[in-house]
Amino acid sequence: MDGDVSAHSQEAEKETTRLWRTFRTVYEMLADRGYEVSDDELAISLDEFRQKYSDPMGYPDRNKMKIQARPTKIMEMKYTLKTKSNPNPTPDCGTVYVDFCPDASGVGTKQVRAFNHIVGESNYHTGIFITQTPISPSAVRLLSSLPNHICEHFQEQDLLVNITRHELVPKHVLLSPEEKARLLERYRLKESQLPRMQVSDPVSRYLGLRRGQVVKIIRKSETAGRYASYRWVI
Amino acid sequence: MSTRQGSSPNPALRTSLPTAFASVVEESSYAHPTQEEQDKYLQARPGATARHLGIALQHAQQIQAQKDAEGMILDQDVQLFKTALQLFRPGDYDNMIMERNYEDLCGYGLCPRKNRKQVGATGSTFHFKYGAKGSGPGGRGRAVDIVPRENLEKWCSDECAERALFIRVQLSEQPVWERRADETEDIRIELLEESRERRQRQKQKQKQKQQLEAGSSKSASAVPQSSESDITAGLRDLKIQEAGRSQELALERGDTGLSLRKGRVDVQLKEKEPSSQSAPTAPQLGPGDEMGGSIEGYIPQEQLEESSNTLKDRDILDQL
Repeated sequence: MDGDVSAHSQEAEKETTRLWRTFRTVYEMLADRGYEVSDDELAISLDEFRQKYSDPMGYPDRNKMKIQARPTKIMEMKYTLKTKSNPNPTPDCGTVYVDFCPDASGVGTKQVRAFNHIVGESNYHTGIFITQTPISPSAVRLLSSLPNHICEHFQEQDLLVNITRHELVPKHVLLSPEEKARLLERYRLKESQLPRMQVSDPVSRYLGLRRGQVVKIIRKSETAGRYASYRWVI
Repeated sequence: MSTRQGSSPNPALRTSLPTAFASVVEESSYAHPTQEEQDKYLQARPGATARHLGIALQHAQQIQAQKDAEGMILDQDVQLFKTALQLFRPGDYDNMIMERNYEDLCGYGLCPRKNRKQVGATGSTFHFKYGAKGSGPGGRGRAVDIVPRENLEKWCSDECAERALFIRVQLSEQPVWERRADETEDIRIELLEESRERRQRQKQKQKQKQQLEAGSSKSASAVPQSSESDITAGLRDLKIQEAGRSQELALERGDTGLSLRKGRVDVQLKEKEPSSQSAPTAPQLGPGDEMGGSIEGYIPQEQLEESSNTLKDRDILDQL
């Protein structure tokens, strides 16, 4: 009986630790994308996480772990496209909503439909759906079918480690529409002449990049110190 | 697609139209008891009055009506299921099975039961399935099948697995958006039960024919009567929009040219006529062949000139 309890608590401890790491990565991701995230939230310790989000059994309670964040001014600027016909545009970004799916297996259209409903109802601009297992193909299709909203999906294990903090991953910086126009003018290029990068690329998914955007990749170089290259997201 | 649930804890699985209809017919024969039956019933129960019987009958009829309605809903389900599946590809069908399993339902679309869970030991990825006695090699022992557990857990029973997979093989691999209008119509999905029944009927017909042929005397009683289901099957095969006729109609309306019906490019197959009627002759030994001659049919330039020269020389000699 005693051993059973300790085995249980060990299991709970393991899951809590894993989820805590995922949770921190999510906050880092939001901060990297340019949402307003406080320093406390970014540096949440395991103890704090355990106090806040675990149920009486010691297991993490995913229903409590919902995150909302608003974009910062810088991010809004990066997502605003000023044209001659539209001198005062609204930024193409807004409040983000992160939901952790509590179901341990078999995530299908039912859960995704519920998530889509929340996103649509509360009119969040972006929704991030985080599950423990892969979701079914029809659920993936359903997730991307919500008009005027952007819904993304991650697995918990994908966010266990923040990939952009790895030493082999160079720094990716999103360019604003004006910066992109300037770049293309400077090099006399059409955007299709830039090197490309897929939307499904892990870093691109991490930064929530959209088709047509351009990122600047800054690498360390032995000869030049720093070397910048550009990628067109397709 | 709706599945009937909740009317009873374990609702009967009536998957095909004929069985559903048969059960309705069977029940409806009890709906109106004759006067004699009513009297007999009252005599057997001294406490009961005609009023009691009336109420009981009314309730019975109500239940009957409910059953009829449910049967009709099932008919609708079956029809809906079949028409909806016309658009499916096998991959889509697998997705549907997966979704149903996520909802704790048997993978077969018309089955209201739950799927099997954890057959055998938990955590094992494979499961041994033993066949009937004498099914092993050489008619001895039992056949053993090693089945992945997830395949077993898709269905509520082996019967449902068979039903579902029977439908899967009938689906078209071609995506809907590439099919032409009449192609989708041509996909007729048949439930396992329906197909079995049809095959049985065919067998019976054959038997009857054989009997008729065997019996030399003409017996009028053995005239095969076309059953109701035969007629419905015949009606179904009677296509209003036949491929040829719809083409004609389109031409008449001036919808599209005949050439574009089959696709974007007009492909016309033309058989190439053989150019000469005479049979090919065997190659004959040329002038320089004993010295080596042609290399696989190719005669080197020098040799050619030589041979032509000798020919010319010979010609001159002859003339001289």
